Amino acid sequence: MNEHRRQILQMLAEGKISADEAERLIAATEAPVSFTPNADSGAAIPKTRPKYLRVLVDAEETRDGRYDGPTKVNVRVPMQLLRAGVRLAGLIPAQALDRANHAMQEKGVPFDLKQIKAENLEELVEQLNDLSVDVDQKEGGAKVKVRVFCE
Amino acid sequence: MIPFVAVVSLRNRESRTFRLWIPLFLIWLLLLPLAVLLSPFIFVACLICRVNPLQGLAVMWQILNALTDTNIEVEQRSAGMSFHIL
Repeated sequence: MNEHRRQILQMLAEGKISADEAERLIAATEAPVSFTPNADSGAAIPKTRPKYLRVLVDAEETRDGRYDGPTKVNVRVPMQLLRAGVRLAGLIPAQALDRANHAMQEKGVPFDLKQIKAENLEELVEQLNDLSVDVDQKEGGAKVKVRVFCE
Repeated sequence: MIPFVAVVSLRNRESRTFRLWIPLFLIWLLLLPLAVLLSPFIFVACLICRVNPLQGLAVMWQILNALTDTNIEVEQRSAGMSFHIL
């Protein structure tokens, strides 16, 4: 039994996911290329590996009471850079990681940097496939829209 | 492949665009002898920090390679800037 299947079955046993969800997850892990249904036609389209992480910011701000026009930020970062960055994090000495973890916990971020390992790297990047963060903020005179996604 | 050129575009209030092509390959050529000269010091620093120097070198090479195709654009009505690594 492979590791993914074992984890899914464990989640099912613990009641974290339903039987239908477990079936779908197992099917997804067994398929060499995953397919997602097309909402319009109902046909399955192949899901390719994302190459870039995109960050789009669209802000309309008033500065000193006057409108200065929209500000658009468009950032495209190759996923390879993300992978290399995680590998770089794996080289950080344990003492430095401890200090960084402690500093983050003090700031209220309960994150253990020691959990970032090269063997978990691919899984981590795979999870980013479906990542999409949309922030729409209207506060005072400012309107800010942020989109983070993979393509 | 490591990046060879970086393109910086700047646009001012009068919509004039100033484009600067930075030949990164020349920078790599200039940095190469410097890196060779500094390699003993880098090696010692890696040993002090308990980092495998070969692993560190491999990661640095990967980061350098992965920089290709990075694109950053900031646009405003009065000005704009874009940075593209090719």
